[in-house]
Amino acid sequence: MRRTWVKRVLAVHGALFLLFIYAPIVMVVVYSFNSNPINMMIWSGFTFDWYWTIFGYPTQLNEQTLYVDSTDRLLAAVQNSLIVATSTTTISTVLGTMTALALYRYRFRAQRFYQGLLYMPMVMPDIVLGIALLVFFVSFGMALGLISIIIGHCTFLISYVFVVVSARLAGMDDTLEQASADLGANEWVTFRRITLPQILPGVIGGALLAFIISMDDLVITYFISGVDSTTLPVFIYGMLRRGVKPEINAIATIMLMLSFTIATLGLYFRRRH
Amino acid sequence: MSGEEEARNQQTPIAEVREAVKRFAATEGGVITALDGVSLKVQPREFVTLLGPSGCGKTTLLRVISGLEELDAGEVLIAGEPMTTVPPHRRPVNTVFQNYALFPHLSVGDNVGYGLDVAGVPRRQRNTRVGEVLERIGLGGFEPRRPDQLSGGQRQRVALARAIINRPSLLLLDEPLSALDRNLRQSMQLELKTLQHDLGISFLFVTHDQEEALTMSDRVAVLNKGRIEQVGTPEAHYHRPATRFVAEFIGDGALFSGRIEGPTEDPVLVTGDGLRLAVALGTTVNQVATLLLRPEHLEAAPEAPDAAFGVIEVRLKQSVFLGASRKFVCCLANGATVTAAPTGAGAQALSRVAPGELVRLAYRRDQPHLILGADDGT
Ligand SMILES: Nc1ncnc2c1ncn2[C@@H]1O[C@H](COP(=O)(O)OP(=O)(O)OP(=O)(O)O)[C@@H](O)[C@H]1O
Ligand SMILES: [Mg+2]
Repeated sequence: MRRTWVKRVLAVHGALFLLFIYAPIVMVVVYSFNSNPINMMIWSGFTFDWYWTIFGYPTQLNEQTLYVDSTDRLLAAVQNSLIVATSTTTISTVLGTMTALALYRYRFRAQRFYQGLLYMPMVMPDIVLGIALLVFFVSFGMALGLISIIIGHCTFLISYVFVVVSARLAGMDDTLEQASADLGANEWVTFRRITLPQILPGVIGGALLAFIISMDDLVITYFISGVDSTTLPVFIYGMLRRGVKPEINAIATIMLMLSFTIATLGLYFRRRH
Repeated sequence: MSGEEEARNQQTPIAEVREAVKRFAATEGGVITALDGVSLKVQPREFVTLLGPSGCGKTTLLRVISGLEELDAGEVLIAGEPMTTVPPHRRPVNTVFQNYALFPHLSVGDNVGYGLDVAGVPRRQRNTRVGEVLERIGLGGFEPRRPDQLSGGQRQRVALARAIINRPSLLLLDEPLSALDRNLRQSMQLELKTLQHDLGISFLFVTHDQEEALTMSDRVAVLNKGRIEQVGTPEAHYHRPATRFVAEFIGDGALFSGRIEGPTEDPVLVTGDGLRLAVALGTTVNQVATLLLRPEHLEAAPEAPDAAFGVIEVRLKQSVFLGASRKFVCCLANGATVTAAPTGAGAQALSRVAPGELVRLAYRRDQPHLILGADDGT
């Protein structure tokens, strides 16, 4: 008796929890197909027009409304975001993996301290990191632009990659590298044929994480982006400040799909190894 | 020393370890001396076993030879060449690791072929040799399998195949059989021995199983707390152990420590609690010594034993059936246990004794080995 009662409460609790997390996201996706240009909360028919709008195609809706923000600027922001995300992913994956390997392989003084320093950027408030980076770039007279954003992102994304790859390394059987050396492979061959394949899921996971965080970062980027180096999140933020427009929903839905794809890819690589 | 053995000692050893010292920093502070001045030679085509309890430094000694561990003092020579500055990948030895260390992301064929691949052997030749080696160890056609699709015994064979494919002059084997069940283990012991003979290379084999060491080796080195206690043939270890530790570690038997006393024509060993055991004639009196009574030395005492025999009075505790024979576990007056495993008529005489009864056992006084010198307490 009591047990079925407890079960029911738990089931309701579970349902509410999922609703709480996913309802807003579902709403955004649904709204992105709503053809009502005035009030997105009232359903007035299904349409793809918001998607056409953000890619700059003329539609019935944008004739009636004044919502056509500059598509060129949106696309430029997307392009900036992609440039930043791919560069930072590459740099932070290489450096983060190298750091993880060095800390795994060598024992040296103040190792724990060094490890602590690597975790720091992950727990530091974004605002603080943003201000610090801004002050740093300004004092060195560096122009704010894509380069400053890339450097800024790398400072904390290296930490993320480091953590993910370190976890993978900790689970690796270190006699594998020794067996490879024993069989005549030098350090480089051992790295390429044994170590790298062993930690690859971690490296790919770290890279995907870095990519998503970089694509998504608003606070830090907001501080260190120049006038003509707006990234997608900064652009959207700017758009919102001039009122919530329905295209936002379409943009959010597309970003959601992208994140989904990347996460699925990540899971797929996890599985395969 | 046999003629063959003498001839061996004339050659340059395949591997030689001189006064090796290896210390590790313990995590809880202080140092662990894993190797404490170890010297050992392995001759060409020789099967040498390192035997010792867990933690005595067996793995460390192998790792020092393969170059995975650097020495704090002493040196390693392979084929007469000092190895101090030679990295592991340039040493002509290969290892079968304690946990096998198969590469999980590579197939069996790629695992076995790894040594050839890094040496740049052409593909076709490499495939042929991988096929041959797998065939040789009874895993023909297993190339496409993954290590996680193999049984423990098969993994062990793959590790072996991977280590011999480069034709090392010395193969290091770190307890390769310890994870296998008893039957598999015994057949693998024979197979390894045959393999070593066919390949014509030296094996340095690690085990903590004394039976395995005795059945497989040309020579055994008993290691204890980072030191070598004794190096020699299995027979020498069994019949003439150099220390109490070796005597305890190898074979069954009861050990009695005490002083040699009495007239020269009837020397006896007197233990701390007054037990008197006859020892071989000619033993120097007034010195400390340890007597090793093996089960096969003991039999039921004749009615009137002559001076060639030592006699002890014991109470039979139990008689244990061993298949082909029987052993009799007995208890001495001071509580110590001795086991007798007589053959033939001696066994029949003891079979008639009921557990709990008193019985007299005898041994030829010149048979049991006497370890002279102070009891080292280990
Ligand atoms: N990397 C290390 N760091 C610290 N101590 C170590 C290290 N490797 C070995 N030791 C210590 O050195 C001693 C010898 O270890 P070793 O692995 O050689 O023993 P073993 O004879 O192979 O034992 P087993 O039969 O259990 O494999 C042990 O006390 C062990 O704790
Ligand atoms: Mg070991």
